[in-house]
Amino acid sequence: MAKLNAADIQGFAMRGYTFPVARFVFLEIVDAPSGQALLRRVLDQVTTAERWDVKPDSTLNIAFTYQGLVRLGLPDATLLSFPVEFVQGMKARAEVLEDTGVSAPEKWEPAWRTGGVHAWVGIYAESPEVLQRRCKILDDLLAETGGAQVLHTQDASLLSDGGGKYCAKEHFGYTDGFGNPDFDGADRKSQPGQGKLTADGQWAPLATGEFLLGYADEAGELPVAPVPHLLAKNGTFMVYRKLHQNVATFREYLDEHGSKYAGGKEKLAAKFVGRWPDGTPLELSPERPDPSLVNDPARNTKFTYGSDPEGTRCPIGSHIRRAHPRDAFGFNGQLVNRRRIMRRGLPYGRYAQPGEPVTDAEEHGVIFMVLNASIFRQFEFVQQQWIQYGNDSHQGTDRDLLLGKHDHGGRFMIQGDTDPANPPYMCTGLRNFVELRGGEYFFMPSLTALALIATDAVDPR
Amino acid sequence: MANQNGSIYGLTILSPIIDDPKADISHDCAIREYLACLPRDSRSPFAVLSSTHLARLVVMDDVIFVGTPAKEEHLQSKYLVFESNLDGDLDTYLTRMATETRDMVDAVWGHCYGYPGTQNVQAFIAYMKKCQIDTTFFFADVNNQTVRSTLRALKVQASVAEFIGSHQGKLPEQLLAGFRAFYGNVENMAEPVPGHPQEPGTHESIPLQKTMAARHG
Repeated sequence: MAKLNAADIQGFAMRGYTFPVARFVFLEIVDAPSGQALLRRVLDQVTTAERWDVKPDSTLNIAFTYQGLVRLGLPDATLLSFPVEFVQGMKARAEVLEDTGVSAPEKWEPAWRTGGVHAWVGIYAESPEVLQRRCKILDDLLAETGGAQVLHTQDASLLSDGGGKYCAKEHFGYTDGFGNPDFDGADRKSQPGQGKLTADGQWAPLATGEFLLGYADEAGELPVAPVPHLLAKNGTFMVYRKLHQNVATFREYLDEHGSKYAGGKEKLAAKFVGRWPDGTPLELSPERPDPSLVNDPARNTKFTYGSDPEGTRCPIGSHIRRAHPRDAFGFNGQLVNRRRIMRRGLPYGRYAQPGEPVTDAEEHGVIFMVLNASIFRQFEFVQQQWIQYGNDSHQGTDRDLLLGKHDHGGRFMIQGDTDPANPPYMCTGLRNFVELRGGEYFFMPSLTALALIATDAVDPR
Repeated sequence: MANQNGSIYGLTILSPIIDDPKADISHDCAIREYLACLPRDSRSPFAVLSSTHLARLVVMDDVIFVGTPAKEEHLQSKYLVFESNLDGDLDTYLTRMATETRDMVDAVWGHCYGYPGTQNVQAFIAYMKKCQIDTTFFFADVNNQTVRSTLRALKVQASVAEFIGSHQGKLPEQLLAGFRAFYGNVENMAEPVPGHPQEPGTHESIPLQKTMAARHG
C-alpha cells in the first residue's frame, strides 16, 4: 500500500474537522468558462488532507453534482464514464432509497426539487465570526468571476448544551459521531472497532479503495470511476441529505412507551439506538451509562455482537447494529466490509432542552453526509437493505426505528431476557421520526482533478 | 444427491431449440416473444404450479467469447434453459406441468427438438428428464420448508407479532385468555394461497428503473 498523497486529497474526505459551525453553499454554475475561472480562484482556498501543525481556524471544500460537471464542460466521454446512480442523482433514486411519502422529492425544499444544484461548498469554522469571514471570501470570488450563483445555503452547528457551550448531541438527545471506518493510508490513529475484523478477532483498517477512488477495494478491485484515471484518483463520492427530525413526535413516543417499558425511559432510548444517550455502547454496558467508557477511544467503539446473538443486550434491530453489523452476520464481518460508509454530520436548528415545549414544525435536524467510493454499493445498500428493511438481520420487514419510513405502521422488537429490568418489549405504531428535506449526490475531486477541471484539461483519451 | 437440498429439488433443463432458417419467425425469437408476454405476478403459470419456489426460463443463444486468452467456443444449438426450485418429487411436478400449465409448456417447448407434446404425460416426463442436467448448486432461500409451510410460517409470524403488540403488558389472566383465543385462530387459520399478490404494507421489490436522467447540457 503506497502512502497516500495527503496534499492531493480534499481534507473533508479524510477527516471530520470537529469544528462547531459550518455553512454549506449550493451553487449554480453559470457556464463553463466562468465556472472554470471561479474554480481556478477557489483552488488555493481548498483544504487538503495534509497533517496540521497548527489547526486552521476554518476549512473549505468543494464537490460537484453530475449536472455541475456537465455545466463545467467536461468531455462527453468522461461524463458517460461516471456511475449511473451519480449521473441520475438522488432525486431520481427516490424509489431505490424509499424516499417516498413525506420524504418524497416533491416535498423537498425548493433548491432540491429543481435539480439545479451544481456544486456544494462546505465551509467549517471555529466560530460564527470566522465562518462569516471565510464565507465572505467565497462571496467575493463569486462576484469577481461571475462563475456561479448561490442557489441555497444551509447553516449547521453543534447544539448548545444549555450552558452556552457546544456539545456533541443531536436533537433527539443522543451523543453522536462515534466511529467512522478506518482505512489504509488515513493519517490518524487507528481505533479498535472502526475498520474490519480480522480472523483472530482484531480490527484492521479497510482497503483504501472503499473510500477513495483509484485504489484497490476490499474485493481487490478498483472502484467504478470516471476516466481519465487522473480525474478519479484521490477523489470520492459524497451523499448530502438534510434530515428533519420530528422532535415532538419522538419525545411523545419515547414518553408513552418509556412509561410502559419496565426498563424505564432512558434504557428504552438506549435500546432504540444501541447506545445510551451519553454514547455508552449497550453491548459493553447494558445496565447503565458509563462515562469512562464514552471518553475512552480505545474502548467506545471496540465491541462485537458475537456474544449477544439474541440481542438481549443490544437489540438486533437497533440503529447502530443495523448500520454497522460488525460480526453479526458471521463470516468474520466479511459481509459488511464492502458496505461501510464514512459519515460527516452536523445538526441544524436550536436544541430544545428536555421539558421545553417543542413542535415537529420547528427547524430541527441533521445534515447527514456520507463519503464512499460507490454510492450504489455502500450508501444505497445500507439505506435500502439495512435501514428500510430488516431481512439481513432477521427482522423481517421491520425498518430502522429512527430513520425508517413507518407511517404509523412500523414495529421495533426489543429482545429481552428473564431479568425484570430487561424484558422483551415490542414498540408498535412507529411514526416517521425523521423526514428527508432534500439532498444530492456529489463527486469530490482531488486537488489535481480540480485543477484539470479548472483549466479545461480533462482528457479522457 | 446433487439436485436435492433438504426437501427442495433443484431442476435444470436444457432443451435444444429448433434451428430452421425457413421459419417466418425463428424459434428462439418466438420463445422470447412468448416469454416476454407471460405475466410475472399471480397470473403467472408458475403460480398455478404452487410447489414452485423460484422458476426461470431463458433463451441461451451461445456462450459468450470474452477475448483472449479464453478459447473461442460455440454451442451446437441454441438452448432453452429452464430452472425451477420445487417441493416434492420431480415426476409429480412434471406431471403437474403437463396437465395444469399445458398451454404454456406447449407454447414454449414446442420450439424445441424432439418435444413430444403434453398429451402423453409419460413421454413428456421422459423428454424432460432426457434434457435434464445436474443442478449441483442452487439458491437455498429456505431449507426443508415447502412453499406452503413457508407462507404459513410468515402468516403465523405476522400474527404472533400482532398479538404481542396488542397484548404486551396485560394482566396474566387477560393474557392467557387472549392467547387461547389467538391460538385457536392460528390453528384454524385459512391456508395461504401460493402465488397470491402481496398484502398491502409488505416489502415490495423495486421495479427495474429504465429511465436515466443523463441529459447533457
